[in-house]
Amino acid sequence: MTEPADLLAQLSNALVARTALAADAVAAIRLAHGRHLTGTVWRSDLVVSSEQSLPRQDEFDVVTAGGAVVAAVLAGRDPSTNIAILRLAAPLAAPSLAAAEPRAGALVLAIGADGSGGASARSGLVNLAGPEWHSSRGGVIDRRIVLDISLGRREEGGPVFDTAGGCLGMSTFGPRGQVLVIPVATLERVVPLLLRDGRIARGWLGIGLQAVAVPDALREVAGQSSGLMVMSLVADGPAAQAGLVAGDILLSIDGTSTHRARKIAGQFAADSIGRPTELRLIRGGQLIALQATIAERPAG
Amino acid sequence: MASQLQVAVLALDALRRHALSQLVAEAGHLVVGTESEADVVISDGDRPAGETRATVALGGTEDDVAGMLSRHPTARQLDAALRAVAAGLMVRSPEAAESGFGRLRESCGQTLLTPREHDVLAALAEGLTNKAIARRLTISLHTVKFHVESLFRKLDARTRTEAVMKAAERRRRETITL
Repeated sequence: MTEPADLLAQLSNALVARTALAADAVAAIRLAHGRHLTGTVWRSDLVVSSEQSLPRQDEFDVVTAGGAVVAAVLAGRDPSTNIAILRLAAPLAAPSLAAAEPRAGALVLAIGADGSGGASARSGLVNLAGPEWHSSRGGVIDRRIVLDISLGRREEGGPVFDTAGGCLGMSTFGPRGQVLVIPVATLERVVPLLLRDGRIARGWLGIGLQAVAVPDALREVAGQSSGLMVMSLVADGPAAQAGLVAGDILLSIDGTSTHRARKIAGQFAADSIGRPTELRLIRGGQLIALQATIAERPAG
Repeated sequence: MASQLQVAVLALDALRRHALSQLVAEAGHLVVGTESEADVVISDGDRPAGETRATVALGGTEDDVAGMLSRHPTARQLDAALRAVAAGLMVRSPEAAESGFGRLRESCGQTLLTPREHDVLAALAEGLTNKAIARRLTISLHTVKFHVESLFRKLDARTRTEAVMKAAERRRRETITL
């Protein structure tokens, strides 16, 4: 029979071994003021990281496993899925990352780069493993994975492994310091598109909207109790050209009611660019319809 | 306790520096030269390298400073943050904590504001009295009071300032760009 103390030592040793193995899977992306961000070595010449935390510049120095500094250039970034890719000037011996399924309660290891060629480790549980979700920036993330780990700022962007050595994805910060994982499936879907185009094209009308209650007197004619009020318009944007003005209350876009924010977001994928679209709205107590043509969202 | 603090304002943009200096004055404190022995430093964005004085960063991303506020704090928030940081405390605004890769929120139907309530809110933000709001929107004083009460209830606010701030926070969180 195994003594409890032996089990603990075994667990600890296993975590140490896993962390050492994972050192090849991380790289430190150097930032200003001696800081860094972690990147996950995706392929021998590609490092993926957290888009929201990567400064807007084109060239970076990356500290790879063992401490060698390699130059890297930005190959693409997509705020909607929070994925950025750097291409390394010299290829590395990259480990192969096998995708793993997240399960709530599973013990996981989040690896960060220590900035001098080594790995840092955090362990905890998968707090939540849910279905796909829509980010506020308009992207679809294949699984909702929340960890109960606290992560350092410098460790964001590193890989997250389960106990079998499978990779759940890349760590990132959600609101209130919550640690999320961008799943491998999302990376596999987005990285090739980003490498091809440098960005993920999205449809665009050039409006900022906020949900409002439809005034009681108009509910019957509107056929719904809430809509999206136009709070801001980009000058000469597609919506402005179509004649939308601030204060208009959008009721539906191509027949999809605007109280379904996620469905609406789904209508602005890359294939929507150039499509004529019908906007039903309330203006000055009247129901009107306007035609707009979806354009491509400008960069930045 | 209401002593005046000496505050250095670090902002590259001259207009922004001017606006922040005015805000510091409005908060009741004294703007001093950037190299002076300031009690607290305000930095527009992340704190510059080598700055070691107690700092309140506005709209920064690095969390190794004593104070982190949004890019556009109110004079009251700035005053509170400057005093707290000068006293050796740390300050974080909920807005800074809300940053991060988040989900698309489906707004809660119960507490959605009506377009009229948005009009009243805009007037509140300008500091108008109920009477002035009634005049601007050409509605009765009674109706204004009705809308203001409804705003307080929907935003869970007790004062006009709180209502304006909570609405701004909600707008920031829930604005959808298409």
